[in-house]
Amino acid sequence: MTSSPRLFSILRQGTCLIASIHTALDDSQLMVFQRDLVERIGRDRARGVVIDVAALDVLDSFATRTLRDIAEMARLRGAATVIVGIQPEVAFTMVRLGLHTGAVSTALDLEEGLAVLGGRLAGPAVGGR
Amino acid sequence: MPAPEPAGGVPDGLGSPDVAALIPIVRRIVAARVPDPATADDLVQETLARVLGAVGRIEPGMLEPYAIVTARNVVASMWRDQDRQRRHQHRVVDLRPSQSPDEGILAREDRVAMTEALTRLSERERRTLLAHEVSGQDTRSLAAELGSTAGAVAAQLNRTRARLRVEYLLALERVEPPTGRCRPVLIAISGGDRRRQREVDAAHHLLECELCARLSEPLMGRGRDRDDEIRVAVRTDSDVVAARQAAREAAAGIGFSPTELTEIATAVSEVVRNIVRFADAGEVLVELLDHPRRGIRITARDSGPGIADVDEALRDGYSTYHGLGLGLPGARRLMDEFALASERGRGTTVIMTKWREVG
Ligand SMILES: [Zn+2]
Repeated sequence: MTSSPRLFSILRQGTCLIASIHTALDDSQLMVFQRDLVERIGRDRARGVVIDVAALDVLDSFATRTLRDIAEMARLRGAATVIVGIQPEVAFTMVRLGLHTGAVSTALDLEEGLAVLGGRLAGPAVGGR
Repeated sequence: MPAPEPAGGVPDGLGSPDVAALIPIVRRIVAARVPDPATADDLVQETLARVLGAVGRIEPGMLEPYAIVTARNVVASMWRDQDRQRRHQHRVVDLRPSQSPDEGILAREDRVAMTEALTRLSERERRTLLAHEVSGQDTRSLAAELGSTAGAVAAQLNRTRARLRVEYLLALERVEPPTGRCRPVLIAISGGDRRRQREVDAAHHLLECELCARLSEPLMGRGRDRDDEIRVAVRTDSDVVAARQAAREAAAGIGFSPTELTEIATAVSEVVRNIVRFADAGEVLVELLDHPRRGIRITARDSGPGIADVDEALRDGYSTYHGLGLGLPGARRLMDEFALASERGRGTTVIMTKWREVG
């Protein structure tokens, strides 16, 4: 079951999941988010995940790592991940910190994130089920 | 002219092997005066926090003498009426007329002392300072009037403030310094002017002059308006969020840019996470500074196991739990000043400061 509906939401749209974080999350809440999302990816057989982090106040080392872990777990389950909504000042701080989202794709906003996933899912790299 | 400690510059003694080296002597001083070990631990931590807070503003040679007199001061002030002292200190830089006229005798004493201190400045110093602080005239227009540059006026204002704080404290205590060296030493400390501190051998003087030892601490800019402080107790993950949000809000109130606010919040997040991870409990103190200019200082303290190798903990790539190991070095990169002191088995204190751009 998805817990803490107010902290984040995970909605299904076609073969994609849209995971929106609604507020600043502490480390435990981030772990709950990770657990719920990875579980949903398996249950919904999602092929793509958009994570909207616009409402996160900071992307510090723990949050960045958690997002990378999620993307890696999603990849192992056959889903591509795009992170959207990283605010300019958050991005700037990440750069100063030497943090990066690694191999995880990013896009400006939800719409673009879905477009990135759409392109990828339609591409030859992803076969039919 | 040496400006007050520039922002952006990282102070010497960072990572503070210097400060760590002071722990034994501080502990000895406190233990000799305070029999209760738990109280002594607190006072040692308090002393280290104060010394760390001053690291950027004192010349390296003065570190040990300052730690010694601070340890004594901390012990002494435990016995004294702390509240009264604090209420005195907060006015050291506040030149505006008192908000409420019935603040009572303390406010009156403050005002008398401030008036007295102002009369001890030169006519020109006084006029410039009041035009700037009270009438709000900016440094550029002052420079035009005085046939000077804005930078020179700002530097002069800083020196005047440094003198005024000294004269204010002397007036408040109704004392005349016992030696001719006292004023130069006190002014060098008040201005955070490290070159001058060396020139007047402030380190040596602090150890032999009881008055200057006592006044050095309020001059270092520690005590200030209690409204400018926020304390957050730290036990759980959610306290990390509370601490970083408190710091962000406080910083927003004094006009930091959105990027700077995020940097501050992120640095707090990294540092406070360590308290939750490695110590059971701790506390974060957020203070707004206005000397030598506006800024924010965050002090994170815990009574945890301490960090075995501070240098290593501050090196990029260090990792104790499954984090990225960017916590402490990352926080240090985001702030203007960063100092850390850790004592094995007793706790860790991190003090970090970010200054507003000059404006
Ligand atoms: Zn003296």
